[in-house]
Amino acid sequence: MLSKKLFAVAFAAVLFAAPATAQERTAVKKGFDLANGSRKTVLVMRPTVRVGAQSTGGMFEPNGDWTEQSKKNIELALAKIQGKLGNKIVVAPEAFGDGARLTEEYAALFAAVSQSVINYQFFVGNRLPTKKRDNKADIFDWSLGSGVANLPGAKDADYALFIYNKDAYGSTGRKLLQAVALLGPGIAVKSGEHAGYAGLVDLRTGDVLWLNADGAMGADVRTAEGADKRVGQLLEGFPGSQPEKTSVTTSAVAKP
Amino acid sequence: MKRSRIALAAATLIMPTLASGTPAVTKSAPPPPPPYAGVYQPRGVDEIGMWRDQDEEERQLSKSPLVIRDEALNSYVKGVLCTAVGPDRCKAARIYILRTPVFNATMAPNGTMRVFTGLLLRMRSEAELAAVLGHEFGHFESRHGLNRFKAARSGTDLLSWAAVLTSMSGSYQAQSSFNSLQLSVYGGLFHYQRDNEREADLLGLGYLNASTLRPQAASQVWQNVMGEAEASASARGLRKPRFDAIAFTASHPPDAERAAYLGALASPEGASRDDGAARYAKAMSSWLPLFLDDQIKLNDFGASEYIITMLSSGGWTAPLWCARGDLYRARGNQRDLVAAVEFYNNAVALDPKLPEAQRGLGLALLKTGRASEGKAALSRYLALKPDAPDAAMIGMLTAKDS
Repeated sequence: MLSKKLFAVAFAAVLFAAPATAQERTAVKKGFDLANGSRKTVLVMRPTVRVGAQSTGGMFEPNGDWTEQSKKNIELALAKIQGKLGNKIVVAPEAFGDGARLTEEYAALFAAVSQSVINYQFFVGNRLPTKKRDNKADIFDWSLGSGVANLPGAKDADYALFIYNKDAYGSTGRKLLQAVALLGPGIAVKSGEHAGYAGLVDLRTGDVLWLNADGAMGADVRTAEGADKRVGQLLEGFPGSQPEKTSVTTSAVAKP
Repeated sequence: MKRSRIALAAATLIMPTLASGTPAVTKSAPPPPPPYAGVYQPRGVDEIGMWRDQDEEERQLSKSPLVIRDEALNSYVKGVLCTAVGPDRCKAARIYILRTPVFNATMAPNGTMRVFTGLLLRMRSEAELAAVLGHEFGHFESRHGLNRFKAARSGTDLLSWAAVLTSMSGSYQAQSSFNSLQLSVYGGLFHYQRDNEREADLLGLGYLNASTLRPQAASQVWQNVMGEAEASASARGLRKPRFDAIAFTASHPPDAERAAYLGALASPEGASRDDGAARYAKAMSSWLPLFLDDQIKLNDFGASEYIITMLSSGGWTAPLWCARGDLYRARGNQRDLVAAVEFYNNAVALDPKLPEAQRGLGLALLKTGRASEGKAALSRYLALKPDAPDAAMIGMLTAKDS
């Protein structure tokens, strides 16, 4: 009675099921602005980090060592970037009992909500008509509900920052397949998958204030420098930050 | 055309490796339990990666609202596992009881065992539960999760190369060879999974043969499963299900086959051993109403009726009559409501202090036009359980003018 997941994954991953083109997008809730140096406290929730390889057939091969390393790198990079964000960053306390259960539930809820934003509002393909209208009217209106105020550590903070990051580095076999497929029949096979998103949630109201989703990021999170760059990409357009590039002032500015 | 031959040659090379882990299901002698090699740690990139993934999932699972955290129930189920596989082995497993009314249990590669309440509801004895838990532990001890991951990876690797080569050739024949290759790879993977299940069945039986419990119970589990499936199908007016056919995508061997080989290989001298049915019934007694309630809400009349009847084989109790009343009242034809009244009355006769029976009785009576008796029963319910979550709503039904 082992889980059937493995086969589902194998079937889904097989071959050229490459998702749509490179996608990246940021949105800010209307009217929200976090001025640089406004001395707000941002609570960083435990980041979800999965790093592994991509087999020739496209399956995700989890790699414990890479994941550990990347997780450490990303946490260090978050601490380093603090200055640039212009606000105080606090790591969420390790909770026990009911607090831990609540944290887990909100992490799952945020994951579900952000997936909905990504699928139904952000990227071409599956957007809902109502959300397309929202896009035109500059509306970004999602919430986790005011229950977030009960999260452990929420009392001493203003916002919560959730981070998700998944990397699958193309294996040698996958890269070979990619080359042969391109040279021979001219089929484009995608090698590697580097997706992630980061979101800021108001700890009083539960509103999602800012969300940045990137389906194709660069930099190697397994190295310290790579992780610095990656965290920079994940927090691109963070309200009140001082980006290296031109700042994102209007909401929903992105490549289609 | 040449290329399609290359693809096929590759297929014939790889298919044997897919099947190489296939255990030969010997049906001649009862399998002895394998020698215990100690709690193992993950080895190699794949296994360490899988364990890390599973550790993260277990971290979430441990905080899930589905988990039943009652200490007595957890230590009892753990105790049954330890009786089955021995005190050394059972240290490697961590059990989580999930409130899910489905007959299942799973084992993750890192030793996370999930036991569904639907399984606990259907087992009749410690020996039956031990057979299922031993089977799951067998998956862990033989590293089936890892082996299946590797098999799926080789299979999909092969198919991707074959797909590229096929599109390079572009001929009709190459396409047709690719299609049959695809079928044989997927078929091989499912076949491999079924063989893993057979191996785990035999390992589970091996533990049970060497334990203090009655190994014949393992076969009984699958006979009961077939009985339930038949009852469920016949209540819905469906054709009798076949228990000997193997579908292409079947994840497990057919139930009849499992019942047969588990019965044949159970150690004959174990037949006189205790199966712990009384201990099991005692441990589950306080949980039965909850498990039955979840089962009834699945809306599977035949299966629920089968389970209630099975549970009543040792004598009817008030909670069982009450559950049967709930089942009939949920189906809700007028004849069902009349039957439900009878069942609730039986429950009340056995235990007048059972609030749920009074509630069901009152509601069923109201719907069959016996309002004054119904209101009286509902008032008794409110008196027995004044802080019931639905007290306000039931209170409206008992009001004089309604």
